[in-house]
Amino acid sequence: MLKVSLRNLFVNKLRLFLTVAAVTVGVAFVSGTFVLSDTMGKAFDQLYAGLTSGQDVIVRAKAPYEIDVTTGGTQRPLDESIVARVAGVPGVVVAQGDVAGYALVLDKAGKPIQPGGAPTIGGTASGDDRLAGDFSYRSGHKPSGPQEMALDAATAKKAGFGLGDHVDVVYQGGRRTFTLVGTIGFGKTDSILGATFAGFDLPTAQVITGKEGKVDNVAVKGEAGIGAAELRDRIAAVLPDGVEVLTAEQVASEGSASVRDAMGIFTKVLLVFAGVSLLVGSFVIWNTFNVLVAQRRREVALLRAVGASRHQVLGGVLAEAALIGLASGVIGLFAGVGLAAGIRSLMKLVGAEIPTTTPALETRTVVAALAVGLGVTMVAAIAPAWSATRVSPMEALRDAATSSSVIGRLRSTAGWVLVGAGALGLVACAWVGNVPWWTTFATLAAFAGLVTAGPLLAGGTARLADHGRRGSGWRMAARNIARNARRSAATALALTIGLTVVVAVAVTAASMRSSITAAVNDGNRSDLILQPAGMGVGMPASVAAAMRERSDLGAVVAFRESGARVNGRNAFVTGMDTAGLSDVIDLGIESGGLEGLDHGSILVSDKKAEDLGVGVGDTLTVTYPETGAVRMRVAGTFSKGFLINATYVMGMADYAPNVTSKLDAAVMLSNAPRVDPAQTKAAVKKALAAYPNVKVSDPAELTKDARHSVDQMLGLVTALLLLAVIVAILGIVNTLVLSVVERTRELGLLRAVGATRRQVRTVVRRESVLMSMLGAVTGLALGTGAGVALSRALADEGISRVTVPVTTLLVYLVVAAGVGVLAAIGPARRASRVDVLQAITTE
Amino acid sequence: MTPQRLDSVPVPAVGEVTQAGELAARAVAVRKVYGTGETSVVALDDLTLDLPRGQFTAIMGPSGSGKSTLMHCLAGLDTLTSGQVFIGETDLATLSDRERTVLRRDRLGFVFQSFNLLPTLTAEENITLPADLAGAAPDPEWFATVVDKLDLRSRLRHRPSELSGGQQQRVAVGRALIRRPAVVFADEPTGALDSHASSELLRFLRSVVDELLQTVVMVTHDPGAAAHADRVVFLVDGRIVLELSEPTREHILDVMGRLGEE
Ligand SMILES: Nc1ncnc2c1ncn2[C@@H]1O[C@H](COP(=O)(O)OP(=O)(O)OP(=O)(O)O)[C@@H](O)[C@H]1O
Ligand SMILES: [Mg+2]
Repeated sequence: MLKVSLRNLFVNKLRLFLTVAAVTVGVAFVSGTFVLSDTMGKAFDQLYAGLTSGQDVIVRAKAPYEIDVTTGGTQRPLDESIVARVAGVPGVVVAQGDVAGYALVLDKAGKPIQPGGAPTIGGTASGDDRLAGDFSYRSGHKPSGPQEMALDAATAKKAGFGLGDHVDVVYQGGRRTFTLVGTIGFGKTDSILGATFAGFDLPTAQVITGKEGKVDNVAVKGEAGIGAAELRDRIAAVLPDGVEVLTAEQVASEGSASVRDAMGIFTKVLLVFAGVSLLVGSFVIWNTFNVLVAQRRREVALLRAVGASRHQVLGGVLAEAALIGLASGVIGLFAGVGLAAGIRSLMKLVGAEIPTTTPALETRTVVAALAVGLGVTMVAAIAPAWSATRVSPMEALRDAATSSSVIGRLRSTAGWVLVGAGALGLVACAWVGNVPWWTTFATLAAFAGLVTAGPLLAGGTARLADHGRRGSGWRMAARNIARNARRSAATALALTIGLTVVVAVAVTAASMRSSITAAVNDGNRSDLILQPAGMGVGMPASVAAAMRERSDLGAVVAFRESGARVNGRNAFVTGMDTAGLSDVIDLGIESGGLEGLDHGSILVSDKKAEDLGVGVGDTLTVTYPETGAVRMRVAGTFSKGFLINATYVMGMADYAPNVTSKLDAAVMLSNAPRVDPAQTKAAVKKALAAYPNVKVSDPAELTKDARHSVDQMLGLVTALLLLAVIVAILGIVNTLVLSVVERTRELGLLRAVGATRRQVRTVVRRESVLMSMLGAVTGLALGTGAGVALSRALADEGISRVTVPVTTLLVYLVVAAGVGVLAAIGPARRASRVDVLQAITTE
Repeated sequence: MTPQRLDSVPVPAVGEVTQAGELAARAVAVRKVYGTGETSVVALDDLTLDLPRGQFTAIMGPSGSGKSTLMHCLAGLDTLTSGQVFIGETDLATLSDRERTVLRRDRLGFVFQSFNLLPTLTAEENITLPADLAGAAPDPEWFATVVDKLDLRSRLRHRPSELSGGQQQRVAVGRALIRRPAVVFADEPTGALDSHASSELLRFLRSVVDELLQTVVMVTHDPGAAAHADRVVFLVDGRIVLELSEPTREHILDVMGRLGEE
């Protein structure tokens, strides 16, 4: 049997290629995701290990709860007297305090050097060589005194700075000019994973980061012969409460674990996309095997007649599936490694350099790729293989009539019931709102219904197309669709899946856009908004201070944000100036009021308040990563926090003592009475010339920017989903090729009685268009329903409006028809080249 | 129909026994060689044949004698090694592939031994297929005439799988006739039929020639079938070795016997 299977595989190379490709895309996605995240994880590991390699133990503040990249927030700085205390512990060779924080380097033209996605760090760079580890000077020397600084070699090179050049730095207190005296490397790479690093001596770094007289941590090297653990215990004995000491190894692994956690989210998102294309791929495989089994009924019957058991038939088909699955797994694995390398170079382009570790191909990745390739293919092939075993030996003797595609009444009823239930479910979900899981479930139910009733749908489509003009090819195409209704339906449904997701995302994004407009129009009362440009994290407090000096402005309200815990749950808290608050923003107070927002009180979004079961007058516990728990009274609840993305709001007087960072996330301004808005805007821009990292926008620009970022996200997600759509297109090509091969005689006959090559091509193209339109229309309908329900499910995330982007959907429809035409090119050509004589003379 | 005297074997004359009138099709010094070198096969060897309009010609000969090849060459389905084929006044060699296709559609009809019909189309749609391909509605009167002649009126809405073998072949004949072709070629149209269906189909072909004034060329192994024709052309090794006009079954059997002895 294996021999037969093997031979079958290679009979049609194009078919083999298309079948393998259907699963390969998904496998490549899976393995690419793993390789990328493993490679990045390894890079971080190496980086952390390298940077702490000169240190034995590290002393730092003990955080009240575990903080990492996902929770946000930083550790409390320690008083620098701790350094001397640690240095006095017997066995300590050297102890040194370090600080790090925000410092944005400006290039020679005065533009901020802002990497996309990596931080801009300022910190100490004049430490003891014995502690430096992988941190080393590529050129020049350590900075010393308030005028000198060092830069990471990558940034220096990119910006064209040489030793002795003047470099401007924006820090949380303002802007200063330094002289570049050295460039820094980190082990083999010239940057910390794409971040910019500005280094100073300790006193200067303390000023820059706003931590005068403080250190973030103390790095310690002990005498040779004393183990890190022993040293740790000795130091722990002299430390005050709230300060901890860890071995450098612990800190490094903690750091990489936190990064890996953060990447875990990214990995999961990518795996969801991979899952979608695998689902589509499995449909294609299922369909392909169904067709193959149908085409080989006679062959199978003959095998059965000459004594092959059902078992052997099953084994034969599954062996073929296994080979295809393995091939997809292996090819997908390599494609994934390539994909990861591609994404890496792409990231390098945008400034996020991943150190040149070799791509990390871990056993898990190999196993996952092969298992996914094999698993998806085998699962998809089981039903077709089973149906092959039910071919009776008698069929070898009978003239095999093309199996009819009619489905039973039970099945069709079940299908329509499912479709109806799913559709009703989606309507209900949209009505109720906030039920993402039920939405997903209803979508799946409707889709399952489509699968069940698919052949009827294909038949219906065919009937619609059956009225075409004489000789136009529609009729013949329609008949072929109807003849293999199951096959046509399965092919179209692969496209349905892809489009459902794409359309649902498009609808959600459109809703998001209109919600943003609504939020700005509805909640904003300011005339100007200052925000950090690009991916910057904040603006120096001096920006807001400068604005307060101006006479042409009314209210000046600054916002800051920090990770914290509220009643034990991770959250972000917002601190803002209370004076003039209601002049720049309408928070939509639902209960209590702004008047009550005095010292020790907090405003909570109405949804969160309901969640936590608190109301005006109740108490909440806010736990800051730096200072620990503070009890606050609820002064009111609000419904329009979306504009500033706020859930918990308190006065700056309550916020500032708990958060060292003095960076403002935004500053909202209102004009003084009777000033010209355009003039004021120009004047404010001019006044901020020293802060090129600050972007001045009016509300219209704010809306535009926000919509733009939604569009960007939509573009990215759609691009990722397109892979699934491509798999579906491969499925259409595959089905067409198979049916062209199957119909060689018919096509020959058609040519013999006078169909031109062009007419033959037209018929095949029309079939393709019919299938893609069926997929497109069902996908659009289902996707729109799911999208509306999903938008309603995300009301908590700030989606207050539901918008269906009709133009976009029409474009998708047209594109789908175009895709049908494209998919048909190859198969149609093949059909038109059928050798007439050979087709009609061979039995 | 009076049997023509058989004088000698072989009879070299070509077109000698044809009636006066225009020619529907003509093959002149046609040679068809398959393959090259040692393995080459001469399927048609310098063959010349006239097909007068309104005549029913049968082509007979042993297996491998080149009958199908001749039909394919006459219908422009296959290319010649040398020689010329005319349909009416048109030299097939001067036509492009597309023009030959259109010629097949508009001026020729073809009936194969089996698998003549598209399974997805109804009988009516199969009959009108060449007209549909031409983008023209078939002449309703002619369609009615053909359908009635072939006694298919009650079967028009059926798919091929719902028709008997004989009915299927009649639908194929209907399709071949729908464009009022210059010639209808039929390669063993009765080959897959039982004797009853077979003689029925032959009577239809005969009446198509007599009453609808069509030109039919039919390949057959069956002397009884050939006896329905106006003339029989015998092929051996790609050459015409003998012609009979107004043949009877006995006559044909006689010739076949003699050819077999050689
Ligand atoms: N495509 C081809 N390639 C090579 N040789 C061929 C091809 N087609 C036909 N022949 C050869 O040409 C010769 C004539 O074949 P043809 O099919 O015309 O015979 P025929 O008279 O129709 O026979 P039959 O009565 O068995 O149908 C045979 O020797 C055959 O082997
Ligand atoms: Mg033949």
